[in-house]
Amino acid sequence: MKHLIAVFLMGVPLALTAQNPVIRNQFSADPTARVFNNKVYLYPSHDIKPPVGQRQDWFCMEDYHVFSSENLTDWTDHGMIVTQNKVPWVRPNSYSMWAPDCVYRNGKYYFYFPSSPNAGGGFAVGVAIADSPEGPFIPEPEPIKGINGIDPCVLQASDGNAYIFWGNGMCAKLKENMKELADDNPKSTRKFGDREFEMVGVNCLQGLPNRQAEGPFAFEYNGNYYLTYPYVREKTEVLGYAMSKNPMGPYEYKGLIMAEHANGCWTNHHSIINYKGQWYLFYHHNDFSPSDDKRRSVCIDKLTFNADGTIQEVKPTMRGVGINKATEKIEIDRYSSASSDVTTELIDTVNTFRSYQAALPKKGSWLCYKDVDFSDITEDSYLIISVKAAGNTAFCIREKSATGKVIAKISLDNIVPPETPNAQAGGGMMGRFRRDLRNQWLTQTAALAYVPKGVTDLVVTNEGDAEIAVDYVLFKNRPKYFSPSTAAPIAPDSEGFIHRWMLLEPINKPNSGNTVFTDSYLREHFNREYFKGQQTILPKDGQKVQAVFKQEQAPAGFGRGMQQAPAQPEVKTVKQTLTWHALDSENMNVKLFRFAEKWGEQVYGVLFWAVTIIDCPEDIKDVRLAVGSNSASMWWLNGEETLLLSGDRRMVKDDAMSSRVTLKKGRNVLRGAIINGPGMSDFCVRFLDEKGNPVTNYSIINNK
Amino acid sequence: MKILRNIFAASALLVAATASAQSGQPFIHDPSTLAECDGKWYTFGTGGGGIISDDGWNWHSGAERPGGGAAPDMIKICDRYLCIYGATGGGLGGGHAGRILTMWNKTLDPKSPDFKWSDAVEVCYSDGMEDQDAIDPGVLLDPTTGRLWVSYGTYFGTIRLIELDPQTGFRAAGNKEKDIAIDCEASDLIYRNGYYYLLGTHGTCCDGVNSTYNIVVGRSKSVQGPYIDNVGRDMYHGGGKMVIAAGDRKTGAGHFGRTIIDEGVEVMSFHWEADFDMGGRSTLAVRPLLWKNDWPVGGDQLKEGTYEIESERRGYSLELAVDFVRMNVARAGGFGGFGGGQQANAAPPQPVAEQKLEDVISTWPSGNIPLRIGDYMFRPHQKWTLTAVPEAGGYLSNPYFKITIAGTDRALAATEDVEVTTVPAFTGAPEQLWRIEQLIDGTFRIMPKQIPGKEGTNTKYVLYSAGDSTPTLAEYDFNSDNSKWNLRSNH
Repeated sequence: MKHLIAVFLMGVPLALTAQNPVIRNQFSADPTARVFNNKVYLYPSHDIKPPVGQRQDWFCMEDYHVFSSENLTDWTDHGMIVTQNKVPWVRPNSYSMWAPDCVYRNGKYYFYFPSSPNAGGGFAVGVAIADSPEGPFIPEPEPIKGINGIDPCVLQASDGNAYIFWGNGMCAKLKENMKELADDNPKSTRKFGDREFEMVGVNCLQGLPNRQAEGPFAFEYNGNYYLTYPYVREKTEVLGYAMSKNPMGPYEYKGLIMAEHANGCWTNHHSIINYKGQWYLFYHHNDFSPSDDKRRSVCIDKLTFNADGTIQEVKPTMRGVGINKATEKIEIDRYSSASSDVTTELIDTVNTFRSYQAALPKKGSWLCYKDVDFSDITEDSYLIISVKAAGNTAFCIREKSATGKVIAKISLDNIVPPETPNAQAGGGMMGRFRRDLRNQWLTQTAALAYVPKGVTDLVVTNEGDAEIAVDYVLFKNRPKYFSPSTAAPIAPDSEGFIHRWMLLEPINKPNSGNTVFTDSYLREHFNREYFKGQQTILPKDGQKVQAVFKQEQAPAGFGRGMQQAPAQPEVKTVKQTLTWHALDSENMNVKLFRFAEKWGEQVYGVLFWAVTIIDCPEDIKDVRLAVGSNSASMWWLNGEETLLLSGDRRMVKDDAMSSRVTLKKGRNVLRGAIINGPGMSDFCVRFLDEKGNPVTNYSIINNK
Repeated sequence: MKILRNIFAASALLVAATASAQSGQPFIHDPSTLAECDGKWYTFGTGGGGIISDDGWNWHSGAERPGGGAAPDMIKICDRYLCIYGATGGGLGGGHAGRILTMWNKTLDPKSPDFKWSDAVEVCYSDGMEDQDAIDPGVLLDPTTGRLWVSYGTYFGTIRLIELDPQTGFRAAGNKEKDIAIDCEASDLIYRNGYYYLLGTHGTCCDGVNSTYNIVVGRSKSVQGPYIDNVGRDMYHGGGKMVIAAGDRKTGAGHFGRTIIDEGVEVMSFHWEADFDMGGRSTLAVRPLLWKNDWPVGGDQLKEGTYEIESERRGYSLELAVDFVRMNVARAGGFGGFGGGQQANAAPPQPVAEQKLEDVISTWPSGNIPLRIGDYMFRPHQKWTLTAVPEAGGYLSNPYFKITIAGTDRALAATEDVEVTTVPAFTGAPEQLWRIEQLIDGTFRIMPKQIPGKEGTNTKYVLYSAGDSTPTLAEYDFNSDNSKWNLRSNH
């Protein structure tokens, strides 16, 4: 599967990334975020499930990926940049590619990473160098001399020097080449058992709370140097920090940036950036591996400084940072706040990357998801929500609060199957297909009762009598099918299709199947009078007609081979007030189904009348009317029956052709009637010449 | 799938009396592409479950697929089976809000200890408001790239194309849907010879004997389309060239699947909405799939009857190696017969009776008679009757046949030395049973079920032209006309 690997090496936008965790297709830990070229680049370590032969309950990291984002919500995976067996000094298959860093200096990107070396045991730190933050990174053949440890972090201080931090708080100055420690670093000797060796640099956390300290991240802000680091306060790691006026200390301990993870996840590891004026804390948590805290995922939350330069403790959130466009798939289960009875759990405990669901157990339960941008949503829009329910119930999407304006209300009435499958209510033949939908994921849609403006908060409220669980929500604008006809005449399109039609709102004509549309049925039913002037009217936009006609009642299921038509169907007299609409279709096929959905009483079991006025500069002889229609249709040119398409038709381009006709100089009226039972009704019409080429040298008039 | 009939209701055991359809209980709607597992064939239909065949001809119920819904497809990828199906939608229950799901299994045999479906994973959906209905998936593992593609949708809007990750069965990262057709359903994608083909089902579904369901095709040099029919019409504008429609007392062909048996040997599986010989029920069909000018063409069910067996090599015909018996009919008009008007006053020409079996059979030996390939003269020693032997089982597309000299019980048989002969009477022995399959170019390969002295069912040796005049058994080779024969009703 070489081809597939190549696909993944290209930048792959991730689908769902606004919420915590932000990387949702793989594990990611020890996030170092950096801002390069006005983009955020994320260099995490890459947890994997240990292959056979590796210790199964330990960290396992084979390579590094780099990700980037311009808005902290959409992350692109630029693929693997460094892998263990391509680094000369790394012990093959040691799976110890732990927390990295990457900095820019003198036109190059320097990627620092620890691993288990071929010789000497313990950990060493190496450098890989690239011209771009996305690589390719070329690893140096040897690790940095003088560093024995993990978790490198490079601080480029305002004094012009670069300092490297690692391990339990060690710090040393780097040479200008960024690949070696400077010669003037303090050195000390240390005894380890009966061995004695030289230590380069200073331990900045000496005397500070530093039990099992690791993962130092140092930065400079407002004249202060901050050394931030995970350490074990009681049983698992917290993120603490210390401040100094000098890069190499001495540092003064200031407190916590983040407390222990509530679920007991052993480690935390972090970085801090300022992006577009806002400070962010990147950290990790084992959201996609709750039973194994060696497989972690990167999260982001906002970080705030106090006026005195100290840092406010950050509480981890599910919501994370960034604004979601309403048109994105929003993992609404990663909520900002909720009523106390709301719970979340993984959708799939095996395939954990399917992420979470949130359960709203009873009427009144709610959850709030902050910062959704509706600026791209039009009035003609709808929402899609992935939901499951324990029984028939209802819920709302509201704005801002649990009592806020209702954006949409969704009733789930068909969750519980009828007691007897063939019972009258919802039964019959279709009843056999009614399934038990309790606790099944369903994609529900609803038109919006109210369209919010700008950036706002979404609230889901349980309004019914059964528990619901939600996964994601998104909003969509409906496609445009028609525009009002413009005043100026238009030409057919380049393929000769006529887009401009006067369409009459559908006449109710119940038929539950389309195979009944025989030639004689069509002649009889199209030639009946439904309204006055049916074959002569040149309607104007908005003109109303009174339709009065006899309507045969089609028995349910007739035409589907389920039952035969009764010899004497029941006949009712029906009156409908119907309006003509002057419309230009966006498509070559005129979508009558969508026309009926917007302006009709029914979308199925309907009869449409369509009229268009063709203005020819001269006689156009020996052309054919070419029609495709769903379902059957009949067409009259200048009052003469020209074409009949009978039976269960589909909209096929040039399905049927008239015999040769003449479009006369001046106005020609083309009139059509289209009938449909079930299915999506539409039609396409054009004229073709003797050679089969489209006729386009005429205009189509709006009868104002 | 506007509406589906309840096709899995318990039914009386029906056995096909003729060789015109799959045997046993081949009752299914929307059969998935045939999948082979441990020597058995499986196909899965709408509603859950599916049918199994040990030999490709006799079918019985017993396949298991959870999840319900409509119209699954199945593909073997490496050592696992990937099932893809629409769980909702199709105008049923959840309206046109559909979800398409995938799941894996190591085996299709419900009795195997390895039989366990992985949790189903959604790969795409239709939201119910859009012009799309996410059911009826058809899957293609592109042999040129290893990429996995799915077409899906119904008459309710468009047929869409998506890509899956063949290692996980999940949606490929970053993949966006593409609309490739309208006005069809139960679609499938196949690849052959540089072209991608989109098969769609057109016409009226689910109306029993009145269903006009039929299978049409468009092709493209790119899997992304556009899929164009034989008159240059895009399937996105309703185009499509017919592959198979009603006939042979069956209506409503739908839900295409292609199975490659061997080089040049392909079949297509689909369902009939109504099989007139099976009480009008919906049944599985397996027919030869032929290719003409790079277009797929549905082959006919091979019928019992009397045929010339013509070699594709030379055009001579398979015959008993017996003496040619001259017919004693004077040449009408002598050589003057070429002269035309000179014989204007002669009596009108009378038909000449052809040579009959009883005229010559006494000249034939009574024991085994060897075979030859010779000039076809529609003589009794050249006319072969194909008769299905349903109790002998079958293979994909047909039952085994006996091949006998018309009017006799003298049967074509394979011999221990891998040659062919005829035996005086058909005994039902496996070397007298023949597997006859139409190849993609319309010719046939003719294969003995067993070769005496060789273990197991023969799948290698076919009736073969060793020379223009000399038949034998040899290994099948699609690229040699020696392997190919025409069955001609030419007597």
